[in-house]
Amino acid sequence: MNDPLRENDLMMTRRQLFGRGVLGLGTSALAGLFGGNDAIAATTSPIATTSSGHMDGLHHRAKAKHVIYLFMSGGPSHHDMWDYKPELSKKFGEQLPDHVRDGQRVTGMTSNQKSGLPICPSKYKFTKHENNDRGVWVSELLPHTAKVVKELCVVHSTFTEAINHDPAITYIQTGSQVPGRPSLGAWLSYGLGSLNKNLPHYVVMHAKTSFPEQSLFNRLWGTGFLPSDHQGLLMRSQGDPILYLSNPDGVTGSDRRAQLDALAAINQQQYERFADPEIVARIRQHEMAYRMQTSVPELMDFSNESDATFELYGDQTQQPGSFAACCLNARRLVERGVRNIQIFHRGWDAHSSLPKEHESQCRDIDQACAALILDLKQRGMLDDTLVVWGGEFGRTVYCQGRLTNANYGRDHHPRCFTVWMAGGGVKPGITYGQTDKYGYNIVDSDGNVLNPQPTKDEWTPGTMHIHDLNATILHLMGIDHKRLTYRYQGRDFRLTDVHGHVIRDLIA
Amino acid sequence: MNCRAATQRLVQFFSVLSFVFLTTMPCLAERDSEQVSFADDVLPLLSDKCFVCHGPDTQDDDMLRLDSFDAATEDRGGYKAVEPGDAGASELIERILSEDNPMPPEDAEKQLTESEKKLLVAWIEQGGKYEQHWAFVAPAKVSPPDSTQVAESDIDRFVAAKLAQDGVSFAEEADRATLARRASLVLTGLPPDLDALEQFLDDKSDNAYEKFVDRLLADLRFGEHQARYWLDAVRYGDTHGLHLDNRRGIYPYRDWVVSAINSNLPLNDFISWQLAGDLLPDPRLSQLVATGFVRMNPTTSEGGAIAKEFQAKNNFDRVENLGTVLLGMTLTCARCHTHKYDPIPQSEYYQLMAFFNSTAERSMDGGKYAYEPTIAAPKDQPAWEAWDLLEAKRAEIVQSADEELLRSDDLSNMTPELVAEWKSSTTEKRFELLVGEPVDLAVPKKTTKKKSKKGAKKKSKKTAKKAEPASKAKIGSKAEDTAKAKKDRPNPFAKLAVHADARMLLKKIREARAEFTTTLIAKDIAKPRPTFVLDRGEYDQEKGDPLTPGVITVLGDLEEDAPRNRLGLAAWLTSKKHPLVRRVLVNRIWQRVFGQGIVRTPEDFGLQGERPTHPDLLDWLAVELGDSGWDLKHMLRLMVTSRTFRQSSTWRADVDDPENRLWARGPGYRLDAEVIRDIGLWASRLLDSHRGGEGVKPYQPAGMWKAMAHPRSNTKEYKRDSGERLYRRSLYVYWKRTSPHPMMTLFDAPDRESGCVRRSRTSTALQSLGLFNETQRIEMGRKLAERVLDEQSGDDERIGLMFQLLASRDPAESELAACQSLLRTMRQRYRDDVESAEKLLSIGEAKNAVQVSTDEHAAWTQVAITVLASDIALLLF
Repeated sequence: MNDPLRENDLMMTRRQLFGRGVLGLGTSALAGLFGGNDAIAATTSPIATTSSGHMDGLHHRAKAKHVIYLFMSGGPSHHDMWDYKPELSKKFGEQLPDHVRDGQRVTGMTSNQKSGLPICPSKYKFTKHENNDRGVWVSELLPHTAKVVKELCVVHSTFTEAINHDPAITYIQTGSQVPGRPSLGAWLSYGLGSLNKNLPHYVVMHAKTSFPEQSLFNRLWGTGFLPSDHQGLLMRSQGDPILYLSNPDGVTGSDRRAQLDALAAINQQQYERFADPEIVARIRQHEMAYRMQTSVPELMDFSNESDATFELYGDQTQQPGSFAACCLNARRLVERGVRNIQIFHRGWDAHSSLPKEHESQCRDIDQACAALILDLKQRGMLDDTLVVWGGEFGRTVYCQGRLTNANYGRDHHPRCFTVWMAGGGVKPGITYGQTDKYGYNIVDSDGNVLNPQPTKDEWTPGTMHIHDLNATILHLMGIDHKRLTYRYQGRDFRLTDVHGHVIRDLIA
Repeated sequence: MNCRAATQRLVQFFSVLSFVFLTTMPCLAERDSEQVSFADDVLPLLSDKCFVCHGPDTQDDDMLRLDSFDAATEDRGGYKAVEPGDAGASELIERILSEDNPMPPEDAEKQLTESEKKLLVAWIEQGGKYEQHWAFVAPAKVSPPDSTQVAESDIDRFVAAKLAQDGVSFAEEADRATLARRASLVLTGLPPDLDALEQFLDDKSDNAYEKFVDRLLADLRFGEHQARYWLDAVRYGDTHGLHLDNRRGIYPYRDWVVSAINSNLPLNDFISWQLAGDLLPDPRLSQLVATGFVRMNPTTSEGGAIAKEFQAKNNFDRVENLGTVLLGMTLTCARCHTHKYDPIPQSEYYQLMAFFNSTAERSMDGGKYAYEPTIAAPKDQPAWEAWDLLEAKRAEIVQSADEELLRSDDLSNMTPELVAEWKSSTTEKRFELLVGEPVDLAVPKKTTKKKSKKGAKKKSKKTAKKAEPASKAKIGSKAEDTAKAKKDRPNPFAKLAVHADARMLLKKIREARAEFTTTLIAKDIAKPRPTFVLDRGEYDQEKGDPLTPGVITVLGDLEEDAPRNRLGLAAWLTSKKHPLVRRVLVNRIWQRVFGQGIVRTPEDFGLQGERPTHPDLLDWLAVELGDSGWDLKHMLRLMVTSRTFRQSSTWRADVDDPENRLWARGPGYRLDAEVIRDIGLWASRLLDSHRGGEGVKPYQPAGMWKAMAHPRSNTKEYKRDSGERLYRRSLYVYWKRTSPHPMMTLFDAPDRESGCVRRSRTSTALQSLGLFNETQRIEMGRKLAERVLDEQSGDDERIGLMFQLLASRDPAESELAACQSLLRTMRQRYRDDVESAEKLLSIGEAKNAVQVSTDEHAAWTQVAITVLASDIALLLF
C-alpha cells in the first residue's frame, strides 16, 4: 500500500532534519535528540516519538499491538441485547424476590418507587447463534453483530461496585471512582509509547447519538498524575479533527513553512544562548505539527476507501462523527500504527424509554461493530488488534417507571453486565460466565448464585471485575498490570489499584 | 537462628563484593568507614523495600515490624532482627543475604541491590540507630555555612557551600535586562513594561535591582500571578465538577485570594481564614468568603446518588487535598488502611475527617449555582477594596458608639435587654441596632423566587455575565413598608453622636451590597455529625465508636486548649512546632521562582518522597518564613535578590547537572499556559486590566462543551464573551472542570478536579498548532503588528521592538535576518493576494487601527505571530 505517512516518516531522517540549513545544532543537542536521554524523553510529545515507552521492553510477549475500545456510555442493557432469560416472560410485572436482590443497594431513583421492583422481561426476540463453544444468544437488536459471534468472546459476568454514572465510568476508565488517576489509555501510552511519529499514540473519538445523555469528562482519557503528554487526543467530528489543525484563513502551507523557518532561526539563537536541550525538542515539535497538517487530513479522507468498505460499514459511514465513521477511522488509525483508540458512544442510559432509545442506539452501532471485526479480519489485522465493547455497568431486571408490553425503563445495575472482546489474542467464539435466571447475580458453573458475592479483592473463576478486565487488556498488550506503576505522592500507583486478575481462560 | 551461619555468609558476601566495590564503586566502598545516616539512607530504603509487609500497616501481630527501634530489636525468641552493633547476629542480615530463604522474598516486586544490602550491614554495625524521618521533625534554624565564594545572602551561602563541595562556583550573573525580565515574570507573570525596564537600566544606584523588585512586589499584577498557584493547589473551578458539571458561584473566593496576596496577608492567617474564618469571633466578610476553600471539592447531584456515600466522598476529598496542599503528603492510603509507609493510622485519617464532617451543606449540590450555605460578596477586586473600607469604617463607628455608651449617663431609654443585646452582638449586628434597621431589607420569599425565575429566563439570552443570579437585595414594596414601620419606632441609639455617620454609612453599604453576588462558604451545623472509621473506606461500613476530631499525631498534637473544630485544626497547622506546613509552603514558593522545588516532589515529603537537595537551606527558609511573620513578599524578595537567582541560566559545560540540583545556573523553563497567553495580550496592547469578576470566556472552537456535556447541564453551551472580556488575564478564564479551556490544557494546566502542586511541562506538536492557528493568537499577532507599526518606523526598529517587548533585548543578527526574510516573503505574498491578507486581518474581534496598507499589515501580522510563538515568548530564561 502506498502510504504517504510512512514515506514521510522515512524521508524525515536525521540527516534531513538537520540538513535543512537552519539548524546547525551542537552535539550535545544531538545526543539529547536521539540518545536515550530521559530528561528529553520525558518531555517529548504524544505526536512525535516512536518511543519504547517507560517500560524496559514488554513484560511478556504481547498478543495485541493495538486496542480499539468501543465504549457504550450510560450502561447498555444486557437484558435486551446479550443475556437471554426466557423464564422471565412468565414473570412479567411480578415483584423481584428479595432473596435475589439480597441487600444489594438500589439507586435513589428506584429505591422508593411506588410500583416496587417489578420484573421486566425483554421484549426482544433472542436467537441462538453458533460460535466455537456452546453457542450464544443474541437479541434481534443486533442482527449484524450476531453474524460475527464466532469472533467474539462474550463475557456475561462483568461487574463493578459503582452504581452511578460519574463514579462508574471514572472507575472503569481510571481504576478509581474518584477523579485524579490516569486513564487506561494514558497508562498504555506511558508504558508502550507509540509506533507512529506523525500521529498521536492515543486517539479518542466521540460518536454521534440521537440521545446524547450522560456527560463525558476529559478525565476519562486524561493523564491524572502521569506526564500530561500521555493524554488521549480527542479527534473531533466538528471543525478541525484535531484542535487548531488548520491554518487560519489567509494562510497557506507555504506561508507556514516560511514562518517555521524564521521560528527555527529564532529558537536556534535561543539554543545558542542557553544550550537548553528542551529548545531543540520544541523545534522538533514544530516540525511534527507541520507534518501532521498533511497526515491528519489524509487520514480523515475516506475517498480512497472502496465501495465495498462503505457497504460493509453501512449508510452512516459517510456522515462525519457517526459511530460507523469512527469505526472506519479506527481501522485507518490502526493501519497507521496508532496503538490505542477509544470511541465513546453515549445514550445508553435508558431509565424510561428503553425500547425507543436502545433501538436507535443499536442502529448506530450494530453494523459498524460487525464491519470493524470483519474488516480487520480480512486485512489480517484482527490478530494483533484487540476490540473491546462494553459500558460502565448493566441495567436492572426490574422496571423503572411504568411497565407495559411496549415500553419500559431500567435502572443501573452493577452486579453483572456483558462485555465482549475480539481479536488481539482472546479466544474467539466463546462465552464466559453466567448469571442467574433474573440476570441479576453472577452464578457458578452449576447455576448457583455465588455466595458470598464476588469482590474485587479475590478473583472468583467465571467472573470479571472491571479491574480484571483492565488487567486482561494490559496483559494482552504485553504489560503486567502489577508492574506498570508510577510513583506519585510516595506511592507506586497502577491502573488496577491493588486488585485485578488476568483472566487466562479468555486468552487464546 | 544460627549466628555462625550469618557471619559466614557475611564474610562470603564481602569477599565477593569487595572486588566489585573497590574497583567500580569507590563511593560505596568508602561507606565502610563513613557514617551511615539512618534518616537519609536507611529509612527510605526500609520504607521502599520492606515496609509494605514490615511497616506501620502490619496486620498480623506476630509479624516483625521494622519501623521502630523497639520493634526491630525486640527479642523474638532467642534472636533479634536487628542486633545493634553486630550485623552477624542480626536476623535481618541473615535473611537478606540468604539464598535459600531470602528477604525480600524472591517473588517480591522490589529487591535489594548489593549496595543496599551493604548499607544495611554498615548501619547495624554502626549501632543500628533509628531516627525520625527528617520531615516529621520540626525545622530548626541552621546558621548558613561560611563560604569562600561570593555569596551575598544567607540563601547563597547554603548554595555556595554545596557548590564548593563539587568544586564549582556560581555562574556569571545574567545581564541586567534579562534579570529584570526574569524577576518580572516570576513575580508578576508578565515581562517588564518598557518604561519600567528603562528606568531600571538607567538607575545606577547600588540597590537599583532591589528597588525594581519592590516595585514588582507592589504591582497589583503580582497577586494575580501568585494566586494562580494556590488556585491550582486547592482545585479552584467555576463548575461543580461531577456529572452535570453545572455552574458554581465561588469566584469571590478567587478574587479574595488575589487581594489577600496583594495585601500580603500573613500566610498563617491566609490558611486559618480559609479553614475556619467562619469560626473566628466576629468574622469579617473576607474571613467568611475565604472558607470557600472548604467548599472547593467537586460535587455531584447525579440522580440516584446516595447522599451518605457522597457525604463521605466529599470529606475524603477535603482531607486528602489538605494533605497534599499543606502537609505535602498523601493521606489517601490511610482512608482504607493504616498507611504502608508513613506512620499514619487509619483512625487518625478519620479523626482528621471529623473536622470537616459537620459542615452545613447538603452532600448533593442540587446542580445549584448558589449551593448553600452561601453569602453575598463583592463581585470583583475593586469592589472588595471598596467593601473593606466600608467594613473598617463600620467597625470604627460601632467602636465609637460603644465608647459613647460606656461614657453616657443618660441610658434611660435603654432597656437592660437592649444593653445586653448590644453587648453580646457582633459588629455587624451592633451596626444594625445603631441605625435601627437591618442592612439587607428582606424580600418576601415568594416574590423573590418568582422574580428570579422569570429574570433568569429573560436574562439567559443576554451575556453570561448578566445572567448571574446575584443576590441583590431588591426592595419590594412590602419590604419597604416593614422598614418604614421600623423607622417610625423611636430608635434608642439615635441620640448617639455617631448615629448620623452611621446612617450615612448605611446608605453606602446598601449601595455596595446591591452589586454583590453570592459565593459558597463553610458553616458548621449546631450538633456535630458523628464520624466513624469507615472500614476499607466504604461509606456504609462504620466501625467502632464515634471519633473526636483529631490530627496526624506524628506531626505533633493539638494544643490541649485548642477547640476541637476547624479553628483548632488551623492553629495546629500554623503552629511553629508543626514540622511540615512551613517547609511545604516555602518549597512551593521556591519552586515558583526557580522552576523546581528544593524537594523535587512537592506533593510528597513522606518517606517515599525525594529528599531535599539542600536540607539546611529548606529548614532555614521554613524557619525564616515563620519568623518573618509568615511574610510571602519577604520570602520572594529574599529569593529573587539572591545571587543564586541572578545567575545566568545558560547550561554550563563545566557542570554536569541537567536537573539543576546544585542550582549552579539560573532558572530556565517553559512558562505556564496562562503566562504564555497573558504575554501575548500584553505585548499586543489587548490586555484588559480589570481585576476579577466572573470567569471570562475567550475564543474557543465551537462545540467543545456540547460534545461532552449532559443535555441538562447548564454548561453545555459555550457562549463566548465579547469586548474587553476576551482579553482579561488568563487567571480569570472560566474554569469548567470537566473541560477547561483547550489553550490551558494544551500547555499542561490541570483540570482542577483534584489539587495540583506541580504542573507538567511538556512540549508537543499540538502546542505548535495552537500557537499558530488559534484565533486569539492570530489576533494578538495582528495587534502586535499594529503596535510596532504604530510605535516605530523602519523594519529593523519594528522587529527590534518586538524583541524588546518579549525578550527585553534587541534581536541578534540571525534573528533580525530571519524576521526580515519572512517579512519580505510575506509582503510579496500578500501584495499578490490581497484577499488572503484581508481574510487574515479579519480574524478576531479587535478592530484594526493601522495606517498602512492591508498587505503590509498582513505581512507584519505573520511576523508577529511567529515571534510570539518562538521561544523568546515562551520561556523564562
